[in-house]
Amino acid sequence: MEEKGCPRCKTTKYRNPNLKLLVNVCGHSLCENCVELLFVRGSGACPQCNTALRRAQFRMQLFENSAIEKEVDIRRRILKDFNKQEEEFASLDEYNDYLEMVETIIYNLANGINVEATKKKVEAYKRDNKDAIQKNKFKQSKDLQLIERILKEETKEEAERKQEIMFLEKKMEKEKIRNKESLLDELMASDAPADQVIASHQSVDVESMLGKVKVGSSFNETFLPAPKVEEMVYEYVLTEVNSYGPAPPILAELDPKGFTQHVRPASPQSMGGGFTHNMACHRALQEALSGLFFFTHRLQQEDR
Amino acid sequence: MARRGRDRSKRYENVEFLGEGQFATVYKAKDLHNGNKIVAVKKIKLGQRSEAEDGINRTALREIKLLQELQHENIIGLLDVFGQRSNINLVFDFMDTDLEVIIKDESIVLTPAHIKAYMIMTLRGLEYLHMNWILHRDMKPNNLLINDEGILKIGDFGLAKFYGSPSKVYTHQVVTRWYRCPELLFGARKYGTGVDLWATGCILAELLLRLPFLAGDSDLNQLSIIFETLGTPTEEQWPCMKSLPDFVEFKKFPGTPLSDIFTAATDDLLEFLSSMLDYNPCKRCTATQALKMRYFFSKPGPSPGFALPRPGAPSEVLKEEGNSRAGRKRKLPDESSVHLAKKLVF
Repeated sequence: MEEKGCPRCKTTKYRNPNLKLLVNVCGHSLCENCVELLFVRGSGACPQCNTALRRAQFRMQLFENSAIEKEVDIRRRILKDFNKQEEEFASLDEYNDYLEMVETIIYNLANGINVEATKKKVEAYKRDNKDAIQKNKFKQSKDLQLIERILKEETKEEAERKQEIMFLEKKMEKEKIRNKESLLDELMASDAPADQVIASHQSVDVESMLGKVKVGSSFNETFLPAPKVEEMVYEYVLTEVNSYGPAPPILAELDPKGFTQHVRPASPQSMGGGFTHNMACHRALQEALSGLFFFTHRLQQEDR
Repeated sequence: MARRGRDRSKRYENVEFLGEGQFATVYKAKDLHNGNKIVAVKKIKLGQRSEAEDGINRTALREIKLLQELQHENIIGLLDVFGQRSNINLVFDFMDTDLEVIIKDESIVLTPAHIKAYMIMTLRGLEYLHMNWILHRDMKPNNLLINDEGILKIGDFGLAKFYGSPSKVYTHQVVTRWYRCPELLFGARKYGTGVDLWATGCILAELLLRLPFLAGDSDLNQLSIIFETLGTPTEEQWPCMKSLPDFVEFKKFPGTPLSDIFTAATDDLLEFLSSMLDYNPCKRCTATQALKMRYFFSKPGPSPGFALPRPGAPSEVLKEEGNSRAGRKRKLPDESSVHLAKKLVF
């Protein structure tokens, strides 16, 4: 995970754990404080790309990659208008064509291809389908309904579990009180000395506790001398990984064989953290050689 | 696709509810297609509405991505993944307990042979992970799961990540604090397998002491506890230490020799422990080097799985015990009030 930080004031998540990164339509991020500072008057330009932005359009950044952030944002905006559902199409092919058109529009906008033309197309669509869009807005999509339902179920389940725990606790409490009362009743009614009555009640208490936890049985087992097991001394077996390729050089050979000659040496900071250039070189070599002898038909033969 | 998913969700029949975490609920279930084998089904929560609309939970994605390619006796097996409506379910090997429960169960006596067996299984799992260029980054007793045959498997890959790429910068805010190594506490952004080995060293110490070895209550306090116990590292012991981003100069503590802390431990064990707790992450032993150390070949040999301890009662019962204890404490004032009321009636 790369260190997240505000590009303007350079505050990082590490220095300020409360840092909230916000993002606008251009996809560049800013922290909450900077937004407050720059957009006092409600609108301004992005300090990175100079796009005119409105303060109300800032929202929480969800993804580390701003390109993805931008795409998600555009998708959300486009889908607000392109909200037709499968039932509205005569055939599956037509519906698929429609979906493909929507994807193309989103892709174009997100990657800056024919932006103007695409925007015009969106506007035209909006004009042509004004009524349908309005109508569909009130109809919740099936997916949303499903999510809503599952969320409801989840909260219901949680509440039920909570109730069950509460119930059990209450039951135990009642039991305790009843025990106490019966002890008092007995103390009042019986002729035996008070010590004996109390003692008998206590033993019941302890027994019921033991019955629940089963401490007794495990004590007996574990305090016996450990059963003699025939001793097997450990032997190191190399864990083998089949890389389906020529064996890469081992870590110790890298330096003497000159593999690391042209590898950028690790910085003192990385060395201090335990990252060495051998490591990166070793991995790169392994990755380069693995899978070279891999043929699917051979794998199928092995399976047989 | 949807139909296949529905079929698969019918394949597993929930038996009982096991627990609930931040991201998921876990059920014990029967695999109806595989002779009613007991498995654990982890149902990823949709969580908040905003997340639900964006798709799949990222922790789950990480776990699926890494575990699908791994297969080892000492790594938790991901048996299946299926979707059920818009939920994602991961099917794992069913594990009875974890090392934390065993350490905390005071009725269990851990012999040197037991400890050796646990260490071998942990390190073999780690060796395999590191060989595949994966760092676990959350090694702790709670994540070392143990099944009914006594086999230990490394679980919870929610923080795991590929390592060894020179251009990637990683976060240092990983690993539960007590098991976090000094380079992470000093804010290292590039690190290697040392982070998992330090944690393993702390786990070994915890197996010996039956208490967390280095239990700090803040990141800075964690460092000072490490240095008070093991001595403040010198530039010689750990070169380049000063170039770490969050390095701070500490008071010079002399430290206590490990043989004074672990008075009952043998020499070969102390040698093994100190090589895992080496300050210099480049010198700290790797899982492979560790497995080749004297400690593992000397007697007593490791206990085979069936001879390893089981907690006195299944974990559910243990949990209940905890509840009833807490319950008793809470009820104390109530009891006295009941008492008083009765007295008045008398």
